[in-house]
Amino acid sequence: MSRPLLKPLLILALASLAAMVLSVGTGSVSVAPGQVLAVLLGEGSNLEQTLVLELRLPRTLSAFATGGLLAVAGALMQVLLRNPLADPYVLGLSGGAAVGALLAMLAGLGGLIVSGSAFAGALLATLMVFGLAHGTGSWTPSRLLLTGVVVAAGWGAVITLMLAISPAQRLPGMLYWLMGDVSYARSPWPALGLLFLVCLLVLPLGRSLNVLARGPMQAAALGVAVRPLEWTIYILASLLTATAVTMAGSIGFVGLVVPHMLRLVLGNDQRLILPACALAGGTLLVLADTLARVVIAPEQLPVGVITALLGVPTFLYLLYRSR
Amino acid sequence: MNPLRAKELVIDIPGRGDGQPLNFSVEPGQMWGVLGPNGAGKTTLLHTLAGLRVPRHGAVHLGEQSLTELRRRRISQHLGLVFQERQDGFPATVLETALIGRHPWLSPWQMESGDDERLARQALEQLDVGHLSDRLVNTLSGGERQRVAIATVLTQAPDIWLLDEPSNHLDLHHQVSVLELLTDQARGGRSVFMCLHDLNLAARWCDHLLLLYPNGDVCWGPAERMLVPTALERLYGQKLITVEADGAPVFVPVRS
Amino acid sequence: MPNALRTLTSTVTAALTLWPAPVLAGPVCATDDTGTEVCLAQPASRIAALSPGATELVWAAGAGDKVVAVVSFSDYPDAAKEVTSVGSHTRMDLERLMQLQPDLVIGWVTGNPPEQLEALAELGLPVFSIEPRTFEAVSHTIERLATLAGTEADGFAEAGRFRQGIAGLEREYRDAEPVPVFYQVWDEPLMTVNNEHLIGKVITLCGGVNVFGDLDRLVPRISPEAVIGANPEAILAGGMGEENRHWLTRWEAFPGIEATTQDNLYFIPPSLVQRPTPRLLEGSRLFCQKLDEARGKR
Repeated sequence: MSRPLLKPLLILALASLAAMVLSVGTGSVSVAPGQVLAVLLGEGSNLEQTLVLELRLPRTLSAFATGGLLAVAGALMQVLLRNPLADPYVLGLSGGAAVGALLAMLAGLGGLIVSGSAFAGALLATLMVFGLAHGTGSWTPSRLLLTGVVVAAGWGAVITLMLAISPAQRLPGMLYWLMGDVSYARSPWPALGLLFLVCLLVLPLGRSLNVLARGPMQAAALGVAVRPLEWTIYILASLLTATAVTMAGSIGFVGLVVPHMLRLVLGNDQRLILPACALAGGTLLVLADTLARVVIAPEQLPVGVITALLGVPTFLYLLYRSR
Repeated sequence: MNPLRAKELVIDIPGRGDGQPLNFSVEPGQMWGVLGPNGAGKTTLLHTLAGLRVPRHGAVHLGEQSLTELRRRRISQHLGLVFQERQDGFPATVLETALIGRHPWLSPWQMESGDDERLARQALEQLDVGHLSDRLVNTLSGGERQRVAIATVLTQAPDIWLLDEPSNHLDLHHQVSVLELLTDQARGGRSVFMCLHDLNLAARWCDHLLLLYPNGDVCWGPAERMLVPTALERLYGQKLITVEADGAPVFVPVRS
Repeated sequence: MPNALRTLTSTVTAALTLWPAPVLAGPVCATDDTGTEVCLAQPASRIAALSPGATELVWAAGAGDKVVAVVSFSDYPDAAKEVTSVGSHTRMDLERLMQLQPDLVIGWVTGNPPEQLEALAELGLPVFSIEPRTFEAVSHTIERLATLAGTEADGFAEAGRFRQGIAGLEREYRDAEPVPVFYQVWDEPLMTVNNEHLIGKVITLCGGVNVFGDLDRLVPRISPEAVIGANPEAILAGGMGEENRHWLTRWEAFPGIEATTQDNLYFIPPSLVQRPTPRLLEGSRLFCQKLDEARGKR
């Protein structure tokens, strides 16, 4: 069984590498592919080094990490809810994280506290959606989605309110909390590290997740400790979303589109799907951000516009098909 | 192999009185049938015995230990459950579905081995769905899905089988082959405990019966002592004619 | 003249110094509006101005020929339109900016995203962030920019002209009859300014009384009812383009407002007052003139 898992992952890893090379080689300033390679090998002019190593590479890695985190978060939530329409943005986790981060920033706090507050926001959003959607009966797709969409709209309003009362100097950069953008992202390393860790962690959890995808009763009958596993997923999905949101704001639909596409091709073994989501989600966002950087350069688009343009039709298609 | 014991067990059905507590033991080699009209609580009883529902009073013991003291993984190595309703949130193939029966037996880091796959394929063959291995479950007919579900528990290889209406959706031939398979399991020292809506299947294959009345009354014992026409008529609220065929009683409803 | 002067200065400096370094002039320093001291080893020769206002101020400082990068809507002076744009001021194309190899970046404290300014600083570019909120700050900013660009002669002269012009208006209108004024920044949603805003200061300068001057926010959103309730004697509006009568004609529907009865609905070209640059002097003169007109109708 391990051999068939490796091959798709290898292909996806090559695809992500290709996307990153493309992204690092593309920009509003043209640097010849040979020169990009030279820079990566430690040569090239000062300007080329700055462009490639200091501007493009960190941004590319940030985009990769953000996309990977969101796709894995989406895939986890879909298993948890046994519903392919679940997505951190659609269900309001991103909004909750953004509100958390903004609150911390308005209070004048920084660094880890902002991340922690974003995490708390995402967790609260998850609990709200699950608590409200679960209610007395079981989850139905429409009930869950309605709850998620309404809660997400609520977070959006809170963000707008906070932006309206926040001091002017924070405003221009803040709109990206509503429409995600990686152009403000700084160091990609913590997020990449988290992504890698989560991929390692879900390997041993993978088979239990496969069983959980068939319903909590069936999973319990097959020996899965359902409650602890569900809590682990809640917390992981919130942590991943919060990290992605503190880095690049609320980028929508990556968590929806990527797992859906992968399941069509690779089936639904979480041990394969989750690492594949990390790679494919990263690849998608790297490509989307490359597009966002050059499509109307020098004007820069927020990458959330591109993912939404891809994601909304996918979402509607899934919703249409699920009837 | 351990017996499954109900001790002063009262299942929790909202809005119904406690009724009579259950005290029975499903011993290795026995084949139990649960009879009762719709809504009498057959499924709830089955889920409670599997430890998936909390009883109102009393306890379920696996051997000497209460289920609540055991880890789910440990329970699932002894107890297999065929559900009446199944969720297919995501598409999965027949083989993948049967393979999840190995879950209780594998450590978190272990991948399914060739042996596991062989077990799953054997189980599918036994249930006559081996030729469907690569099909997606959600494209199968109801009867095929039912047999895949039973093959999954066969792959799980528990000591104690709990089944919720295993004959649902099955044609006559497959009903018989499934019940024969369960009989084989019982002969091999395992125990079977199933809800059945077909009185005659229960009369023909079960050695023990448990009658569950809608008001919470309950009685259980060896099949021959339970198959009393008046008791069964009260159970279903239906007049019955009893005839004998092949040495066993057959119950036919009276037309009104 | 400025070039000649600079050559002279540098020759003198070079002659005085013991080091045979090919430096044009010594290090220049100035403190920006975030309190950061920015020092350049030599005056800037390639300037990136990251707001339309900054572009105008750099030109005012006499360093327009050194501007290598601007942002969208940098339309004044005309020569600024020829300079390479690096995108919008809220989301700049840092790559193109780096390619232009500026040696001084003029940031906008409340306009540019702090993350991007920090990134530029980390890449080793001197970032001088400005936010002129008073008339004096306009002059002072021009002087500081001139210092950093080594164009003190032109810059200080222009700063002085602006300072004196404003001082002149101040003297002229110190004892003018107060006129209740509503200034309309935007139409939908309806927005105005408070007294902290530079336009609010223009109102005060001209002897007007800003009817919404005491509101907390710099650019408050208000309802038409509030305007009717405040009953200003004059309404002055900017607009999207240089002519946008419709912003003013909407008030003609409310004859209860003093400004409507007196026909004191005036248009002020927004480019003259909405940027903290020397054109503000021209804008202020126009503003004061309109209020004088209003006084004349009493």
